[in-house]
Amino acid sequence: MAPKHPFPHEFSRRRLLAGAAAFGGGLLLPGKAPVYGGAKPFAGVTLNVSTFNAPFARILTKWLPEFEEATGAKVVYDTPAFPVYNQRADLELSTGGAAYDVLNITFIYSSRWIGAGWFTPLDDYIRDVNRTPADWDVEDFLPGLRAPESDKAGRLYGIPWTVDTFISGASRFDLFKDAGLGLPDTTDELVTALKAVHGKEKVAGFVTDNHYGWTFVPFLQAFGGNVFRNPPDDLTPVLDTPEVVAAAEYFARILKEFGPNGVLSYTEDQTLQALQNGRANYSAIGQTYLSQVGGPNSRTASTVAYSPVVRGPAGRFPGVATHGLGIPAASKNKDAAWAFIQWALSKKSTRRAIVEERYASPTRRSDFESAEFKRITSVNGYDLSGLISSAVDLAAKQGHMKYRTVPVYPQVDQQLNKAIANIVSGQLSPKQAIEQAQAGSITDLRRAGVAI
Amino acid sequence: MAFLKPVFANVDRAAAGWERRRRRAYLAGLLPALVVLGVITLLPGLFLLGVSLTPLSLVNPSTVFDFSDPLGNYRELLRDGRFHNSVLLQLHLSATSVGLQLAVGLGVALLLNVRARFFEAIRTAFLIPMVLPPIVVALIWKILYTPDVSPLHRLLEEVGLPIDSLITDPGLAIWAIAVAETWQWFPFTMLMVLATLQLIPDEPLEAARIDGASRWQVFRHIVLAYLRPALVVCGLFRLIDSLKAFPLIYVLTNGGPGTATEVTNYYGFIEAFNFSYWGYASAIAVIMLGGAFAVSWLVSRLGWNEVHHD
Repeated sequence: MAPKHPFPHEFSRRRLLAGAAAFGGGLLLPGKAPVYGGAKPFAGVTLNVSTFNAPFARILTKWLPEFEEATGAKVVYDTPAFPVYNQRADLELSTGGAAYDVLNITFIYSSRWIGAGWFTPLDDYIRDVNRTPADWDVEDFLPGLRAPESDKAGRLYGIPWTVDTFISGASRFDLFKDAGLGLPDTTDELVTALKAVHGKEKVAGFVTDNHYGWTFVPFLQAFGGNVFRNPPDDLTPVLDTPEVVAAAEYFARILKEFGPNGVLSYTEDQTLQALQNGRANYSAIGQTYLSQVGGPNSRTASTVAYSPVVRGPAGRFPGVATHGLGIPAASKNKDAAWAFIQWALSKKSTRRAIVEERYASPTRRSDFESAEFKRITSVNGYDLSGLISSAVDLAAKQGHMKYRTVPVYPQVDQQLNKAIANIVSGQLSPKQAIEQAQAGSITDLRRAGVAI
Repeated sequence: MAFLKPVFANVDRAAAGWERRRRRAYLAGLLPALVVLGVITLLPGLFLLGVSLTPLSLVNPSTVFDFSDPLGNYRELLRDGRFHNSVLLQLHLSATSVGLQLAVGLGVALLLNVRARFFEAIRTAFLIPMVLPPIVVALIWKILYTPDVSPLHRLLEEVGLPIDSLITDPGLAIWAIAVAETWQWFPFTMLMVLATLQLIPDEPLEAARIDGASRWQVFRHIVLAYLRPALVVCGLFRLIDSLKAFPLIYVLTNGGPGTATEVTNYYGFIEAFNFSYWGYASAIAVIMLGGAFAVSWLVSRLGWNEVHHD
């Protein structure tokens, strides 16, 4: 029998207060998490949870004792780095392992993992009033973020916990102002601005992380190119077009001419450090990282400025990625796993993350529209919440992120990583590198059984 | 004498029977070891070989026992430029790192082959890199090779000789890994050579010196002759181990820039664990296994590990 939901939120609080009134206020211990009727429905259960290391994961890790206290479950929360997580989760899921009860459904793997039947549909859990209170409100999660966590039949497999939208920013905007420039709006303006600010006060003009399958694609699309012909229906790679070659040449040029020494080895964390310490100035990267440049630990918080990602000849194409918490099909503790997801992503928890931890990547509409979120995302007069939501809306309208959730994108992602590195390091010309990426993608896709 | 034939025949039969029983007894004694060897070594190897004959992809369950085109993966490997590049890089990395390890290990061992307490103490210090976990070694070199935080880069910048990042230079990245690998593993050669140096008898050395041999001639014709088997064993061990290069590449370069450090082992890892092409990755592993066996066989055939110092 399914246990009754341990976190009915306001409802549980009312019941708890009613219980307290009946049995005496002395039974209520101050500071304790709400407990359904005092029961610990998952006592003795050990929940193994894993997501990649990210701000929200660190917040949840901090709050775990409250969940454990309320439910009796013991939670082992593993947060490796992004690539390590993906490899580990992919191996675990593909071999049908039951080592994890809650796993992150990574954006680029979502179609592959969900399509292979490696995750549990959550609709029954959400509909069951014994497991999920009505006011938990799954509809509150932005539809554009729920879509990649669903299958073709519309069944939901993951609850979005973070959204990463591609925005731009200058950690040393004062150098732009000194040069008489504002933040660039177009790809041409960006080059002009970087020429003006690069090397000033020993600050590199441009930096971004070396996951080019993510950081290069907004430029690729801005120049009029695409990754696949018509994803998800036609997965023929279309990398060998003049537009993609031009975009690769442009992107490699700004990395090579304006990047710091060793820019090809920069991970997201290194990029953030370089921006926070003022060693690099302008960046185009996800807001989960770029927003931290305006945070309390940043040396450049007072000089940072933000803008949408630059537009090219074909328009503006901000990358948008979301990741969801899901339950592996082989998990042996699915009810407890759902209780964990429900708790982690309840309205109360997500709002608390914004208020107490300045969490800048919510997925609920009510959080996006809240005064608390607008307050923490206002940095030096720049409204980050507006930048994020307009990027999400633009991606939903243009549908330009469809390339990213097809099962074979990881293969093409790596081809793009290598292509840009080959150009920047001078091993291949843009045309050669892109042609190699196209040929490599076709080989990889055929090996995966994709008809091309 | 024909009457003796049955007697001899009986004796022969008895001897043959005894011989058979003896063989059976030996076999019975060996059997547990052979079973263990088969289960823990041969069986996984055979399984790997079996998987390499299928197009097994973990996202496609129908490929699990698909033996319809058993040589498909091997045919594709023949056409796969990225695989060919990885083999060349593997040979480059193995040759340079093993060569450097042998040279540095031999050199340091000769320098430390002194009977004094001080030198005996610092021998232990030289062993530290070898006992460090590979990931720690990788982190040490990641810091050294990252211009932002590297004391090496800062020092060179201070003296007016700034250099570009070594791990993002396609011409130097593989050398950067070879240097890190050498730092970690030269103590192995040093240790083996030091132990062998202690075993060299004094007589031939003294005789050579009395005959007027120079220090180089003594080293070349006597010391090196004694050291050769140890160096060959070290080289063979390190060569086989170099085929398993992984943590340094994973942490330092991730196979890049581009594919500049994507050795065969790393390429196999990507195919298996990034893309779930287990059949194809198994074929790569089988080729590597064959390479390791071939190297071992070649060394034993050439007889480099035998002592010839008479």
